[in-house]
Amino acid sequence: MADPPPLTTEEFSRLVEFLYRRTGMVFTEAKRYYVERRIAERMAAMSSPSFADYFVHLRGEERKEVEELINAFTVNETYFYREDYQLACLTTDLLDARVKTKRPGDAIRIWSAPCSTGEEPYSIAIWLLENWKDVDAYEIEIVGSDIDTDALEAAAEGIFGRRALMRLSPDLIARYFHQLDDERWQILDDLRQSVSFSRVNLIDTRQTRAQGGFDVIFCRNVLIYFDDESRRVAAENLYDNLLPGGFICLGHTESMSRISPLFEICRYSDAIVYRKPLELSA
Amino acid sequence: MTDTRKRILIIDDAALVRSYYRAALEAHDFRVEEALNGLEGLEKLLSQSFDLAIVDVNMPRMDGITFLKALRSKELPLSSLPVLVTSTEAGPQDMAAARSAGANYYLVKPIKQETLAEYAAIFCGSHP
Amino acid sequence: MPLVRKPSSATPSPASDDRRLAQTLLQGSDDERWSAARAAPELPDGLSLLDNALARERVPRVREAVFTALAKIGTAEAASVVLPYLRSDDPALRTAALDALRAMPSAAGTHLPRLLGDADPDIRLLSCEIARGVPTDHAEGALVELIEREENANVCAAAVEVLAEIGGPASLPALAGCGARFPDDPFLRFAVKTAADRIGSR
Repeated sequence: MADPPPLTTEEFSRLVEFLYRRTGMVFTEAKRYYVERRIAERMAAMSSPSFADYFVHLRGEERKEVEELINAFTVNETYFYREDYQLACLTTDLLDARVKTKRPGDAIRIWSAPCSTGEEPYSIAIWLLENWKDVDAYEIEIVGSDIDTDALEAAAEGIFGRRALMRLSPDLIARYFHQLDDERWQILDDLRQSVSFSRVNLIDTRQTRAQGGFDVIFCRNVLIYFDDESRRVAAENLYDNLLPGGFICLGHTESMSRISPLFEICRYSDAIVYRKPLELSA
Repeated sequence: MTDTRKRILIIDDAALVRSYYRAALEAHDFRVEEALNGLEGLEKLLSQSFDLAIVDVNMPRMDGITFLKALRSKELPLSSLPVLVTSTEAGPQDMAAARSAGANYYLVKPIKQETLAEYAAIFCGSHP
Repeated sequence: MPLVRKPSSATPSPASDDRRLAQTLLQGSDDERWSAARAAPELPDGLSLLDNALARERVPRVREAVFTALAKIGTAEAASVVLPYLRSDDPALRTAALDALRAMPSAAGTHLPRLLGDADPDIRLLSCEIARGVPTDHAEGALVELIEREENANVCAAAVEVLAEIGGPASLPALAGCGARFPDDPFLRFAVKTAADRIGSR
């Protein structure tokens, strides 16, 4: 598209403050062009003649538009080993903390929710097999859940294209995938069979409770889209699904500060993650 | 060449308050970061080092007093970070609550920009 | 292969036992009260059970769940249950109440005119924040009305903060008037100017 119409300084301030308040994402003047492009797209989609008009819509009954706006400002592509600093944190710090109270042979349960088309849960599986020294000492159960049944079907099938694999070395691909043709690779059966998938709406307590207790939950880039009330309910559901002392990891630009005060903040060298406190009270 | 300016974290729900404090503090050569509630404040303090935090009492998700108590229960050196508490309340019990939660000082809103900068300098250990 | 797939081994939540729930909400362990609060919206008398529980609950995490349950019910009556806690001396409780009201914007919005006219300036101040989440046409008018007559500078500041986000040209005269009424308040003058600049720029 042609250069987007510029926002005035004040319009820019209004917009970035709204985004900061809602999501925690910070956009300074340095990101002006980035911001202008995306807001121009949204204004066109809503047929808004001016930013003021668009902003009124945004705040009005059009809560769906808030979702679209946030979507426009977050990177949504899913691929293997995305945000792998969290996978590093998993094997460097989180699992060590979890196994302190486990014996060899005990279960370790990890939840990827939402799992979309499976890149995340399979990434966790591959990463653990490749990087965790104690991977053979425990029974590791990885569950992937999503609200979208089409995505779950695709996840169970485990077929991925070039782009999804772009961060994996040829060596890893050769070891864990079976090439179907020029453009498609399928996760090896062994691995595919060892990850389970389920349909879950994170706001539905009955559905979330049915998944049981987890040591680590990856809940990336979904909570920030929910409205206030749904975010609270989802956060409580996730808290409920964590074993005491269990960890939850959010997306790179997300923070519990916009979501819920239930969790403790844990700073590790690779990441900030959140933890359900170990039981203290009766 | 490293930046030797003192770093201040402003924790207040109101964007205009944060802008107003930022203008005051930057004019006096402080480096400023912002957070809008106690949780975000704690996260920023865990990720970067600061010389002072200025925190309001009324904030969503985690108020200023709860933030202060959480901060003081962390390990050194973070737990000894100087903290100025701001509030619209001028009552002795509110000030006492802030003090016992670990506040270094208490300022009642509205706060003049020069006043803020002055106290910031004192509690950062720099001299105006 | 150390990775195992198991059929779901967790027991789903037991069906809410109405008779027990009321009791658990008041007398169970922290975890039991927490779960009971979360299940309460499904009961016909859930609102009064939560009202009761909120009055006695001291554990922040459980109180949070009670507030979430009230937000889930989301009616004007549920908002009424939350409102008194805005007056608490405890900043954590005030924050929790305000957060709950933010999570039920339409219900909270029905109380907005009364809240913005409350005798207590602290209530008026916190209520400006509630206005932020309410559909613009109602909120802007209510805040403009407020700053036209408000005597407390901090309340005005809270209203101006929200108007900077939601205000339109109709707010400009009231903003100017408000700034003029408090010539010695440097923050309010700054806030009024910033808000007017934002609104005026088209």
